[in-house]
This record gives sequence, C-alpha cells and structure tokens, in this order.
Amino acid sequence: MAAIRIERLSKTYRAGWNGKETTALRNLNLEVQEGEIFGFLGPNGAGKTTTIHLLLNLIRPTVGAAYLFDCPATETEVHRRLGYLPETVNLHDYYRGRKMLEFYAALARVPPAARSSRVTELLKLLQLEDAANKVVARYSKGMAQRIGFAQAMLQDPDLLILDEPTSSLDPVGRKEFRDILLELKQRGKTVFISSHILSEVESVCDRVAILQNGELKRVGTLEELSAGRMVRLIVKSLPAPVVEALSATTAQVTLMQGQITIRCPDEATCGEIERLLEQHHVEIAHKETEAQSLEEIFFSSINQPPRL
Amino acid sequence: MKTISLIAADSIRGLLHQRLLLGLMLACLGLTVFFSIALAKTRKNITSSFSDGKGGANMSTVTNRMSETEQRQFRESMENASSMMQAFFYQVASFGGSLVALFIFGTAVSSEIRRGTIRLTLSKPVSRTQFLLGKYLGGVAVMAGYAVIATLAILVFAQSEKVDLSPAMNWAPWLMFCRQLMLGSVAMLLSLFFHPIIAAVLAFAAGNGLCSTSNPLYYILPSYQDFNVFFQVFQGTLMHLHDVVMLSLYALDFVVIMLMLALWRFHRKELVSP
Repeated sequence: MAAIRIERLSKTYRAGWNGKETTALRNLNLEVQEGEIFGFLGPNGAGKTTTIHLLLNLIRPTVGAAYLFDCPATETEVHRRLGYLPETVNLHDYYRGRKMLEFYAALARVPPAARSSRVTELLKLLQLEDAANKVVARYSKGMAQRIGFAQAMLQDPDLLILDEPTSSLDPVGRKEFRDILLELKQRGKTVFISSHILSEVESVCDRVAILQNGELKRVGTLEELSAGRMVRLIVKSLPAPVVEALSATTAQVTLMQGQITIRCPDEATCGEIERLLEQHHVEIAHKETEAQSLEEIFFSSINQPPRL
Repeated sequence: MKTISLIAADSIRGLLHQRLLLGLMLACLGLTVFFSIALAKTRKNITSSFSDGKGGANMSTVTNRMSETEQRQFRESMENASSMMQAFFYQVASFGGSLVALFIFGTAVSSEIRRGTIRLTLSKPVSRTQFLLGKYLGGVAVMAGYAVIATLAILVFAQSEKVDLSPAMNWAPWLMFCRQLMLGSVAMLLSLFFHPIIAAVLAFAAGNGLCSTSNPLYYILPSYQDFNVFFQVFQGTLMHLHDVVMLSLYALDFVVIMLMLALWRFHRKELVSP
C-alpha cells in the first residue's frame, strides 16, 4: 500500500484585491511506499511546503487529490497514523514542555495510561528532559524544533511528514536526528522529508523527488537518478570556435594539468557536444560517465550550476 | 466530544495567559466598581442633604423628623439612586463584557491561523468542526466566568450598600451573557473573512440599532438591543419569565446559525498563507 499517493495535484493561489493568480503546484503525481524514507527537494518556492499543506488538508487543491494510506487526505481519522513537523514550529507559548506534549498526546488519542510514559520517553530521546518543565516560550529555536519533533512522534505514527526538520539544529542535533530516522526506517515507518540539506537527504533517503516551479522534475532512487547522467569528455585541444560554442551550452569546461575536461550534465547534452567536436575535428581522448552526487543531480535537474 | 473539550480547555488556558485580555477584564470590572462607588456616594449625598437641619445622620432619625411629602421625596430619591447605581453597574459590566467577547471570539481562530499553531493541532485527528466548536466553547466558558464575577460583584456591592436589587437584575446577568455569546458568534464568523479588528467593529455595529424595522436587514442582523435591560433595571420593571425564555431561545437560534455559517466558511478556508 502507498503511504502517500498524489494524483494530478495542482494548486493555484489567488491573492490581492485583483485576485492575481500564482500557481504553486502543477499536475503533481507521486507515490511514496510504506517503509520508505522519501526526500522531497526543490529550491525555495518550488511547491514543497504547499504539497505538505495539501497532504495535511490545511489548504484545498485546485485540481487533483491526495491520499494517505489509500484514504483521502481530507479524512481526519487518517491523521491518527500521521505525525507532522512544520518548518517553523509555532508552539502554544503558555505551556510548559511536558504539559504541551501531554495536550498533543491527548489530541492524538494516546491512551491516558500510556501518555505520561510516552512523553517521558520522547523527552529523553530528544534530550529535552531538563527543559521539560520550562515554558516553551523560552525555548531556543533548536529546542522548539526538538519538541516539535517529539509531538510529531507522540502516537508512534506510521507516516512522518517533516518539513525542513533540521533547519534549526546544530551538527550534533542533526546527527541524532539522522539516527532516529534510521531507527524509524528499521521499524518500517514511512518518512517524507522536505529539506534543503542535500547531504542529509542523501544519507538517509531511499528515494527522492525534485520539484521546481511547482513541477516534478525527477523522481527515483539515487542510483536511478545518477545512472549514466554526468558524462566527462577529455580532449587534447579545444579550438576557439568550439570554446565559444560550448559557452552557450550547460557543459562545463575545465583545464587542469594540461588536460581539458568537458563535463556534460546529461547524455543529450553530451551527444550535442560530441557532434560539435566531430564537426571541428576534435579528437576525444577519453569518455566516461560518472555517478553524480545528490547535489549534482539536484542542480542539473533545476538547470542551475551549483553555487560556489 | 472529548476532542472538543480538549480544544476548549486549551483555549481557556490560552485566554487566561493573555495579559491584554486579563487587563481588559480587570479594567471592565474596575470601571464597574468605580461607577458604583461614585453612585453610592451620590446616594449618601442625598441622605445627608435630607438630613440637613433634621438633627442627625441616622436614616431612621432623619425620616422620623420629615414631613410625609419629604419622606416620599426622600424614598423616591433613594430608590432612583439605587436603581441608577444598579443600571450603571449593569451597563458598564455589559459593555465591558461585549469588548471582552469581541476580543475572545474575534481572535479565537484567527490568531491560531496567524500564528501557525493551528497546523500542529489539525495534524492530529481533529476535524475543523471540532476545532471551531472547541474554540467557541472555550470562549463561552470564559464569558460565563466573567458573568459570574460581575454577578458576584453586584451582589456583594448591593449587600455592602444595603440596596435592594431591582427585579430586572435577577435576569440581567443571564441576558448579558446571551448577548455576549451572540456578539461572539458574529465576531467569530466575521473573523474568518476579515482581520479580527474589522470583524469586531462589524460584529459590534451589526446589531446595535443601525437598521430600523423598515429595513429588511433588521430581520437578518442580530438584535442585541433586546437583551439590554438597562431601562428595566433603572425603572425597576419586573421581567416576565416568558420574555426571558423567548430571548434565550432567540439567542440560541442565532448562535447556532452563526456557528453553522462559521463552520461552512472554516471548512473552505485556507489555513496557511501562500
């Protein structure tokens, strides 16, 4: 069974008095299987958070539908199997940490007998024992994110939807978070992570989807996405007209230790460049495909060079 | 029902932690007591003005030495002062309560949306209906608390000033409470369309005699005025149970209709901004 199924989902916002339309999501189709850790990537404004808000029924789709465990996302009862951590954790600031978790545990229908022990367990897991009786208004950003993560895990959900879960965590916190995710994966839980931290996604995710301008650019495992993608051509010389022609493509040319390397982001571009070299009688000394890092996959998918 | 009561309890907790609201409630009750003290002084001035030249400040001594006409004038003046004191007490408590109700109900849902706290709550198995009803019930509980405190204040004050309560005062707190719930339901509905301040102003203006009976809107807009018993308290008029029941039913109907409209709107509302 798919933990998340998104069918032809589109979302257009109307803003202002003139009702100016902004399309945040276009015809998104996606499936996340149970037990997967799924990375949801994209630059700012790509539509990641909009997708999450649609899954949580906080906003209504313009077209299409979303399903959680084969139930429409609009069904409240399916939220018994769901945990959610928003990008910015806004807490009811009049609670103390423990009391707040107990309130959310009651809402999540954790049985009263198990509530206190579950809250204690999560406070311990997320290193918040010392802050348990502190008013949450006094929590640092990192602590707020930790307690937000704790509330998401209260009912031991089958599906966790995490929006930028480590944005406020320090490196130690990120490491702990990764360990928790891997432990959840071992227990067969499904995790849907939207993140900007590519290395983090790369280290834990089974599959990723890359979104840009509300459109799904690519989806698959890291192996599928990187296979045969980046091609490296090594040439001995490069005449000026070829250099000029290459500057108009997405290929990158580097000169290192007398060796000229042309890095083609994909096979189609590589084909074009090979034809160009052939026209100018440039001999290709060596050709190789290289496995791409998630960062390279990401930037090639959104047609932007990596930022230095 | 359990979820609704959890949301309501959370709402009460949140409201009691709002310094602005607590300040507003204390200011209202403080003003009420201030007016009452001022009127009590007026009442004492009447006594002393009648006692001038009658050889004593003791009321029975004073009245014994008055002529029949003077005694009647004195009693009327004293009753007028007592009624006015109670009427003002009621009016200030009622107006203050209305402000508190507008604040509570106008911000109950909209502040959760604005602050983003609604996202965590609705990510749990909580429907939008349960959320809105819980928020409304939380507000009802706080307004009930306000009505109880205001009632206790008038009782204590009447006792200390040895004033007989006007017959209309028996029902005045209940009708004040009903009026505030009506006002609150309108404010909550409008806050789902407009900024809470605009919603509060519109909700207050909607039923405060802006339309005459010749205007069709009169039959749609709430009739808050019917719940204002200032003149009945002042004139010492007896209120019939039948009238109170009819007004209560009207308030209940009105609140139910407003809540249904609010639910309809809330179910269609985008709970996060793009």
